[in-house]
Amino acid sequence: MPALVSKSLRDHRRSLVRWTIGIGAFFALYLSFYPNISQNQDLYGDAALEKFPEAMRDLMGGLTGFTTGTGYLHGVVYQLFGPMLFVVCAAVLGNQAIARPEESGTLELTVTLPIDRRRLVFERFAALALGLLGVAAATFLLAWGLSVATDMGVAFDRILAAHTGVFLLGLLFGALSLAVGAAAGRRGPAMAVVGVVAVGGYIVETMGKNVDAVSWLRWVSPFHYYLDGKPLYQGFPGGDYLVLAGAAAVLLVVAILAFDRRDIGV
Amino acid sequence: MTAVVETEGLTKFYGRRRGLEDLDLEIRPGEVFGYLGPNGAGKTTTIRLLLDVIRPTRGRMSVLGTDPRDPRVRGRIGYLPGELALEGRERASEYLAFLAGVRGGVSRDRITALAERLEADLSVPMGRLSKGNKQKVGLIQAFMHEPEFLILDEPTGGLDPLVQQEFLAMVREVRAAGRTVLMSSHVLAEVEDVADRVGIVRQGRLVAVEDVAALREKAVRRVEFHFDAPVPREEFEGLPGVRDLRVEGANLSCTIDGRPDALIKAAARFTVVHLVSAEPDLEEIFLTYYSEEEAHHARAGVQEPA
Ligand SMILES: Nc1ncnc2c1ncn2[C@@H]1O[C@H](COP(=O)(O)OP(=O)(O)O)[C@@H](O)[C@H]1O
Ligand SMILES: [Mg+2]
Repeated sequence: MPALVSKSLRDHRRSLVRWTIGIGAFFALYLSFYPNISQNQDLYGDAALEKFPEAMRDLMGGLTGFTTGTGYLHGVVYQLFGPMLFVVCAAVLGNQAIARPEESGTLELTVTLPIDRRRLVFERFAALALGLLGVAAATFLLAWGLSVATDMGVAFDRILAAHTGVFLLGLLFGALSLAVGAAAGRRGPAMAVVGVVAVGGYIVETMGKNVDAVSWLRWVSPFHYYLDGKPLYQGFPGGDYLVLAGAAAVLLVVAILAFDRRDIGV
Repeated sequence: MTAVVETEGLTKFYGRRRGLEDLDLEIRPGEVFGYLGPNGAGKTTTIRLLLDVIRPTRGRMSVLGTDPRDPRVRGRIGYLPGELALEGRERASEYLAFLAGVRGGVSRDRITALAERLEADLSVPMGRLSKGNKQKVGLIQAFMHEPEFLILDEPTGGLDPLVQQEFLAMVREVRAAGRTVLMSSHVLAEVEDVADRVGIVRQGRLVAVEDVAALREKAVRRVEFHFDAPVPREEFEGLPGVRDLRVEGANLSCTIDGRPDALIKAAARFTVVHLVSAEPDLEEIFLTYYSEEEAHHARAGVQEPA
């Protein structure tokens, strides 16, 4: 493994473990409610949830089939909270690649090593992707294990499809935070851009289904390429996932070009 | 032999703020070049330009015969940043092993030997190192791969005097091995013992490059003679290089500029009981460059319309 990749992974080891534990704890807590909820049709059935305003139901991904395994798993884990946790985790990792070490000054020695700047960004991205993959793999096994333990009856490959989407979405936002950080050299702008794109993108995708004024914006929302294909229900939306991966690749190229051009630590 | 550093009209503006302007500098192979100037003069700017950390606004430069944009040239350089940041739980030894790995490998014995010389403890998490100990780690990583060219930005900051001496010895060894050193400082005293030449930079401009030996020649020296009997003042007046002459009975004191020869010969006509000669204060002549510059700026200021 290239020295910069293994070094970054070593540096992030603790934070990756913490994220895995945090996301895992969230999954475990919420999925453990499922047996209770599936047995309370009148409280959590479609009819019961109809009473919530439509806009709110849209924001929560429709809130239908909450008492079925797939519906619950989607609504609680894969609609909003799971992706958002991964987005934040990835954005933090993205910032640790360039912006944070540049702010603290530790990047100075790294850029004066006999390593091409483009390779530096690439290897830091590789570390980000591998770290995120580790978190995704561990939490995937946990989600699948819990779904089996609580008798949700969701197929392995559907959970894998949804989890892959969450990972790709995270990777895209990680690349976005890396790109802004590589261009600006500061964490603040990267976090702001990620925040706006994540929250805005999510609202546009969910509300846009029923609000014509913003529906045309859905295609620029990263969430569109994860949510629209309903991976937990319908399996891998291959084309959409390729868009997510492709966008991450484009952002990586932007990060490399931006970083290669500018003054470091000014 | 080609120069280790060669710049022509090298200029860096940070937005509209001047960092460095029109620097023409040559550093020759095998020399120790002291780069002097007060805070904000442009020393760090120059150094970071040479390492391709920042990019010039205009001008040309070559380092070890190559464009610094080529990352391979950095493999032949050892660099101590002016503001060294080391942090986290990682031990200094692990960090040094990482840097050594990227630089193509350095024997562990070499790192240990340097650490012992500087009395650095490499087993402490870097975030908990004191400023002086961080500086030692910085020196180790700059020296460890025996680079052809060492660039040290204010290297002695935070080091105690004993370690400073050890560091200067390391610099002399590097020069003895025929390798080149560029070290910056805001005080001449820190570099005058090891530097062959000094460049003086002020407000973004190189105002002088001097041979340290020549600087010593020019140096102002205070001298005192004690004779066995009062001496006549006239015998010492008007001697070349003698200034601030004071004769009080059997005691004479003055400053000399350049060679003391004429004064010694004049004093030899009497019986000298005691002679005191202070070390030449290079700092003093170094400062005259500044005061001349300042006087120049002051005049320019007066002429400016209000
Ligand atoms: N990142 C920066 N942004 C704006 N001005 C800067 C920056 N870095 C240095 N400068 C300015 O450039 C000048 C030279 O600074 P520097 O090279 O750091 O001086 P030195 O190292 O000699 O103390 C100073 O006036 C300083 O304020
Ligand atoms: Mg400086």
